[in-house]
Amino acid sequence: MSVQRLQKLQGHIVSASKVTMAGPSSPLTTHVLNTAMGVPGSNMALSLSRQDPSTAAWSLITTGTTNADGRCPGLLTREMFTVGVYRMRFETAQYWESLGETCFYPYVEIVFTINDPSQKFHVPLLLSRFSYSTYRGS
Amino acid sequence: MCSFIVLIPSVRIYNVNSHENKENALNEKVSASGSSPLTTHVLNSGDGVPAARLALSLHRLDSNLLIWNLLTVGTTNEDGRCPGLISSEAFTAGMYKLRFETGAYWERLGRTSFYPYVEVVFTISEPQQRFHVPLLLSRFSYSTYRGS
Repeated sequence: MSVQRLQKLQGHIVSASKVTMAGPSSPLTTHVLNTAMGVPGSNMALSLSRQDPSTAAWSLITTGTTNADGRCPGLLTREMFTVGVYRMRFETAQYWESLGETCFYPYVEIVFTINDPSQKFHVPLLLSRFSYSTYRGS
Repeated sequence: MCSFIVLIPSVRIYNVNSHENKENALNEKVSASGSSPLTTHVLNSGDGVPAARLALSLHRLDSNLLIWNLLTVGTTNEDGRCPGLISSEAFTAGMYKLRFETGAYWERLGRTSFYPYVEVVFTISEPQQRFHVPLLLSRFSYSTYRGS
């Protein structure tokens, strides 16, 4: 096992306990990775909104900025995490601009449906200047 | 009485002539090839097939009103492509959005999906280039990149 791998494992364990100490962890998490540079996407502004099923209007739930590890703990509490359609918006062009680069995508919005809020959902963003991907993680 | 004879330099006539020809050539080029400077390709990476008959739409942001103008509505063909998205003339610099009706696509295949739809918003600052904005899609993931 490489030194980097061991460090990463340590980082996961330390992060987990930090979250526990701060309070119950959010059932919805994200992780931004800068795949072009092989680093976490830190200091990226993001926001979480929920869609009103009757009016289709979006309500802002949380805004935040990713930490040094590209994560944003405490997105929402279990009580707030109801069934519905959610939208995570990442300010990607602003992020690349702070690194002195342009980006093909001014922002990235990922819209997803939560039918079973008792589960945990991980909505990461793997990002470069000219590409991005996301998946449902755990 | 003085009469003035206006002499149009032959060089000028030649220039005007060649502009007209250029324009005609351009029109011929667009109608002959008809290829859109913006293309897409949707792939169902879950099943390893092109995503055929997936509805999509192209929008451009009106920078003054800050609203999205619908430019094109289409459906992917058997190869997951949608030719003729936009003409070279209409393809101006600006912010565009490609919206893919992914939820409806999976529903038609009898499956659920994590994403009700996918919107890819991108900035075009050099509309003379060609842009390929594909979507690699599964029920629980998707990715996109700027291709050529």
